[in-house]
Amino acid sequence: MQLISFPEEEVNKGDYLIVEDQRSHRGLIIQVIDIQFANIPGILEDILRDVMTEESIQGNDIDPLDISSQVAVLKDTKLLLCKIRGALENGHPTHDVSWLPSRINSSVSKFPIEIVASEPSPSRPILLGGIKQNPKFTIDAKTLDGRLNIVTGKKGTGKSHLSKLLAMSLLDHGAPCLILDVNGEYTNLTRRASGESSPYEGKIAVLTPRLSLRFTLAEVGLGTMMDILLHALDLPGTSARVFARIWRQLEQKNELTVKSLGEAIADSDCHESVRDALQSRYNTLADSGIFTDDPSAANSRQLLERLAAGEAVVVNMKNQSFMIRRIVVELLLSKITELLSRNRLRAVFLFAEEAHLYLRETYWDDIVTRMRHLGIFTTFITNQPDTIQESIYRQADNIFLFNFTNERDLDVVARAAKIDGESVKLLVKDLPAGHCLAIGDVVRDFPIVVNVRPLDVEALGGTRYFFQENSIACPK
Amino acid sequence: MGEIRVRREQELLPAPVTGGENLMIHRTQMTHASIEEISSSLRLENSERSLLPAFLVELSSKTMQQVNGRAFSPRETSIFAMSIDDESPDAISALGIDDSDDCETIHLKPSEESPVAAVDVSSLKIGETETGVLAAIRGAVVWRSDQGYQYIRCGPLAFHLGQSSDEAASSIALGFGSSQFFTERAISRLRNTLERWIQREICSSLQNAVVLFDGSLTVGTPDNPSAHLARIMESARERGSVVLAFSKSTKLCAFGRRITSLVSGAQAPCVVDVDQAVRGQFESHPVRLAGHVYVAKLADNGFAFRLDADRQVPQQERIEAMNRLIASDVVMQGYPETLRLAHIFSTFTANDVIAVQRHLAFAHGLRIAPRFNLRKSLFGPFGTWGAA
Repeated sequence: MQLISFPEEEVNKGDYLIVEDQRSHRGLIIQVIDIQFANIPGILEDILRDVMTEESIQGNDIDPLDISSQVAVLKDTKLLLCKIRGALENGHPTHDVSWLPSRINSSVSKFPIEIVASEPSPSRPILLGGIKQNPKFTIDAKTLDGRLNIVTGKKGTGKSHLSKLLAMSLLDHGAPCLILDVNGEYTNLTRRASGESSPYEGKIAVLTPRLSLRFTLAEVGLGTMMDILLHALDLPGTSARVFARIWRQLEQKNELTVKSLGEAIADSDCHESVRDALQSRYNTLADSGIFTDDPSAANSRQLLERLAAGEAVVVNMKNQSFMIRRIVVELLLSKITELLSRNRLRAVFLFAEEAHLYLRETYWDDIVTRMRHLGIFTTFITNQPDTIQESIYRQADNIFLFNFTNERDLDVVARAAKIDGESVKLLVKDLPAGHCLAIGDVVRDFPIVVNVRPLDVEALGGTRYFFQENSIACPK
Repeated sequence: MGEIRVRREQELLPAPVTGGENLMIHRTQMTHASIEEISSSLRLENSERSLLPAFLVELSSKTMQQVNGRAFSPRETSIFAMSIDDESPDAISALGIDDSDDCETIHLKPSEESPVAAVDVSSLKIGETETGVLAAIRGAVVWRSDQGYQYIRCGPLAFHLGQSSDEAASSIALGFGSSQFFTERAISRLRNTLERWIQREICSSLQNAVVLFDGSLTVGTPDNPSAHLARIMESARERGSVVLAFSKSTKLCAFGRRITSLVSGAQAPCVVDVDQAVRGQFESHPVRLAGHVYVAKLADNGFAFRLDADRQVPQQERIEAMNRLIASDVVMQGYPETLRLAHIFSTFTANDVIAVQRHLAFAHGLRIAPRFNLRKSLFGPFGTWGAA
């Protein structure tokens, strides 16, 4: 749909308008996705005449009808390219639009989209930020519950900032969050920007593999260990069966320790190639430093207790090798899935930053199908949208799109987002830093450009600059 | 009054692409004139309003009030139309063949510089009401000063030209009855009225100037009475000015061909005196040539134009006026720049048309009514191409 806008009418990309048909008493809710100059006949000639003569010729107009002001208006008249997002029938919003308003008997006005895109008084509000006509745009935490979310955009646009906001807001409502932090950006969420401690102190635990995140083999269990061996360490099936036998024998003898496991593998009477395979995996596990024989040094119980108590756990995987990340994530997800299936945990909100760096491929589908039903509600955060499979995009319930200028990235997102590709491309490429296009259940399928609110937390993970006085990190 | 040297024309023009001389452009000599001289001679600072006659402004207001709140069908503007002008072509139709081939070619030489001013007026049909048509007119004067070209644009003014007798009485008493040519003639008369007014103001303001008109100096039609033009040219002569009129198109023929083809082989700048060849053909004609008719070729590889010069001015002074013109003005493609600019400033663009229509809607509450198209109504998508 295209609309004409005169210069005195202030309209921006992303704004919502309503086209009210006076006769049918219905309104069409449309969103401005692009603004162009109206291609009025003869406008080019007028501009050329102005440009060609402005320096070489001066003069005056005797214009009693003031037509020149009308010409000026026409020169600045804009063409608004809009998309139909829904309708208002008898005051009720609907996405089912099978009619068009009259061109002659309709009036166009700005529409406060928040009245249909969010609950008027949500029971679990999350203050997301400001939108055009409302500085306090609130979503309901329920719209993130049980959902698959994607936060994506190029670097420095505010993805991690929004993820922190969502995690902390969920935490405010007692929702447990597990944050897989590859850059150490979430480790100071308990600190205000001033460096003082914040009310989140005690609610967020930061665990670092090998240092504060260690497990005994008994805590890990055979099932989880097999997941690690098969999926993280690519152990062949035959070798895995031998490993399971050794594990069970040690369990029966109540001798399941890291040391005894190594000895049992070395002494096993299996084929040499199997033993070598098991030995190499064992060495990797032992060297990872994640496993301990000292029960007092292990804290998996503490991790799970904190989650069960509705707190947040940040797993700081900064400076960890790819293998350790994979082992840790495999271990945590396997353990949490096990606990969820036993109903020892109600649900967990998982924030997975740059998940392709540690999540095995088979997990992608697992997360959006089986794990989702068990109660793992994932938010993927990435600046490489093509690392997330298209099937994941298609099943995403909420997408928060930050600025992308790269055409290829835009193509990937546009192909899979919940709205038409043209809207994504036109709206997203001009988003300023700190602004995102929220799509999906959080905005009741009315895509909205949100200026994400600042957070009073110590900023970490932003781009480090050499010239500090010019630094413009992501929004605070 | 101090003498102020103004920029050479070369400074205003782009360098020739080939590095050689651009033969399409006649380069004038140094201009020696002062802005005070030109502006004071034009007397336009204190009398700008006088270039737009009050009676036309009142007439515009009066006729438009007749249609307040009514519906009108706007003129459809095409995105392919760069500019629009309803100006009628040369009033004289093709003339006969003269046996004589004895036309004098006069070569021009740039002489002393003098003020040059040009006047052009455009008219346009803006739309239709149930009882008549809506038209707009606009005029422009362009003149050279030591600061370059300057202009005054007058209008546009909008008029409603009613076709019923009572509306005609309260609109414009032109006495055309209800003939089908009413519209064209009424618009033509409005345009001529404004054009003659501005020409008169300019000719009675300038001293020792070359005043350029658009079109020919042909008079004697009901819409273009000879007395008006005669007074204008007399006023110019009294102040030492000479009126030259350039026609962009002409149907005048001599020796079996269009007169503009007579200079095709001549060295520019030059004029060919064709007055004798065409004058005799007007003796029994109701219209009259108030100008001495030449064909002008002012730049090599430029176009040839019919050029009328005030007949009452001696031949030598007419030629001298042309010499002064090519010394004082840029002659791009054989056409004076002042006159080209006057045309540009007066012509309506499609954008202007929409602006006037928007003004009518705001100021007079005119409602846009879709134009009824019988062909579209009958044949739908199969009847839109104007086939018979």
